Amino acid sequence: MKSFATALALCVGCCSLAQAQTQQELLADSNGGTTDNVLTYGMGYKQQRYSPLKQINKSTVKRLVPVWAMSLNNDVGEQGQPLVYNGVMYTGNVKQTVAIDVVTGRQIWATPIDWDPAAARIVCCGLSQRGVALYNGKVFVASLDAYLKALDAKTGKEIWRTKVADWKEGISITSAPTVANGVLMTGMTGGEYGVRGFVAGYDPETGKELWRRFMTPDPGEKGSETWPKDDTYKRGGGAPWITGSYDSELDLIYWGTSNGGPWAAKWRPGDNLWVASVVALRPRTGEIVWHFQWTPAETYDFDGTNENLLGDITVGGVKRKALMHADRNGFLYVLDRTNGKLIAGNAYVKVNWAQPHIDPAVGRVEETDVAKRLRAGEKVEVQPRWTGGKNWFPMAFNPKTQKLYFPMTEEASIYQLNTDMPAYKPGERYMGVENTSAPRDKTAPWGYYAALDPLTAKPAWKIPQPEFPMWSGSLVTAGGLVFSGRLTGEFMALDEATGKVLWQFQTSSGVTSQPITFTHKGRQYITVLSGLGGGTSARRETQGKVQVGGSVWTFALMPK
Amino acid sequence: MKKIFVACALSALTGAAAAQEDVKLGADTYARHCAACHGVRMKDPEGAYDLLKFPRDQKERFVNAVTRGKSSMPPFGGLLKPEEIAALWAYVAAGGRN
Repeated sequence: MKSFATALALCVGCCSLAQAQTQQELLADSNGGTTDNVLTYGMGYKQQRYSPLKQINKSTVKRLVPVWAMSLNNDVGEQGQPLVYNGVMYTGNVKQTVAIDVVTGRQIWATPIDWDPAAARIVCCGLSQRGVALYNGKVFVASLDAYLKALDAKTGKEIWRTKVADWKEGISITSAPTVANGVLMTGMTGGEYGVRGFVAGYDPETGKELWRRFMTPDPGEKGSETWPKDDTYKRGGGAPWITGSYDSELDLIYWGTSNGGPWAAKWRPGDNLWVASVVALRPRTGEIVWHFQWTPAETYDFDGTNENLLGDITVGGVKRKALMHADRNGFLYVLDRTNGKLIAGNAYVKVNWAQPHIDPAVGRVEETDVAKRLRAGEKVEVQPRWTGGKNWFPMAFNPKTQKLYFPMTEEASIYQLNTDMPAYKPGERYMGVENTSAPRDKTAPWGYYAALDPLTAKPAWKIPQPEFPMWSGSLVTAGGLVFSGRLTGEFMALDEATGKVLWQFQTSSGVTSQPITFTHKGRQYITVLSGLGGGTSARRETQGKVQVGGSVWTFALMPK
Repeated sequence: MKKIFVACALSALTGAAAAQEDVKLGADTYARHCAACHGVRMKDPEGAYDLLKFPRDQKERFVNAVTRGKSSMPPFGGLLKPEEIAALWAYVAAGGRN
């Protein structure tokens, strides 16, 4: 009730502006609102990436053709999810934000993000930028050197900028900001650099900071009993680097947090809340209402940052408000998003550091002998590899079939904690481990694309990916199609029921981004960014085999 | 003759010792700032340039790239002293042996 009243109050002030984009519209995105717009990261606050559109469907998809493409003048990778409002698409990459006419593909404006080039020193894993936020006539974007900026949606001119953190401390921002209940929020990254993770809330009109919620507790704060009683928590990690999902009825925004700092947990004995966890915050205050820790005493670089997809699912005949999360650690979790209780937890790839099934009554992974030996300092082979069974690229959920769609990787690492404590120096890596890829059986698939039952992690279908793992976000539509892309550039439409590739188009570079679909004047469009990079792993596999170079690709049905 | 010979030998030894120190400093600098992308001891680079393949006769190219940045690699000129960059070169040119 509170958030509705707030939304109304805000709406009265700004509904009159033609270019404005209101709180009401944000709430309605993928929730009864017009399919002409895509206003949020995840195509709706719940981040289901599900569209009710049926014009492009299993029968018509054979007529799907590119209708325009636009260069993004960038060779370090495209990971973004475009937004669309009133016929204008807002997208970009680490270098610039652009506004594009959705029909013609012509650029309306382009604004460089303008960050200190030296800041790239403190980015572990690629010069990534996953999107923007829209609110009240403004486009919000974060820079690699940890600034938050507001641009005029009509002209692209900067309205304000605010410094979120000093990048020299190892902090950068690669995620899309978000606006919920009138508050503009951003996470940050830097888990490899001994940062103290946080989410911060800002006034979208002025950029004034409203609150900052750290992801390690202050001394004496509830949760501090899971840390040593010294200043270890200040370098403890827990950086939230993927945009939070939001339940507007509960008024909770859910953020996943990264690995611990340093990587080697023996230097920070304890479970280390809220590292490798999900926290449910109040957008107005940043207060933590509940948390769940995916990997207690995390020491594997299993960031808990993957998206927290919200959906209502039937469990034992009862409809539950669920939060679904496919973690780096190889487990697919279903939580009750009202209180964080574990409903189900099962491995979705091979895991050897913990038992593959989590007992909901216990609510916690059970580590194996492999984990014990690793923690004791032995060199061990760990499954999955530190980059995870799934990395940052988001999954899609069909609320009708109650299935999750995403690519997973089967890979192992050789991992050993160093004997000496790593020296902390601001802006330098703070790790304390040696990690390399385990030799791979090249006759086995490197990964799969699958449709999973969230409660069991069992696949309805599972398509092997022999050549390279997939590193792309997904989209599912009521047309019975699942869209995703390959590192080798194919953008594909799969039959939702079987996984069979019904259509594909060879884009100009690898696909590591987040497809969307929308309508304009009754015609359905699909857009995806193509451009290899944005993640050291994605580059590793395809080096020398796939060209880089970013561009926007938009598709629609060729008229009959 | 003997004196010159001894002097030459001494300076060669000192030179060799200095070169060894360079490589050691280079190895330390590499481990702190470069290993994450270019691989521990230059093995298994995660999509970054394979330094084991860097031409051993292109010191200037190396120093420029490290100082000013190149493609995805950020500039390190603002962080590392010229001696450290020279030491990095000694390490890379030695093929990762130290």
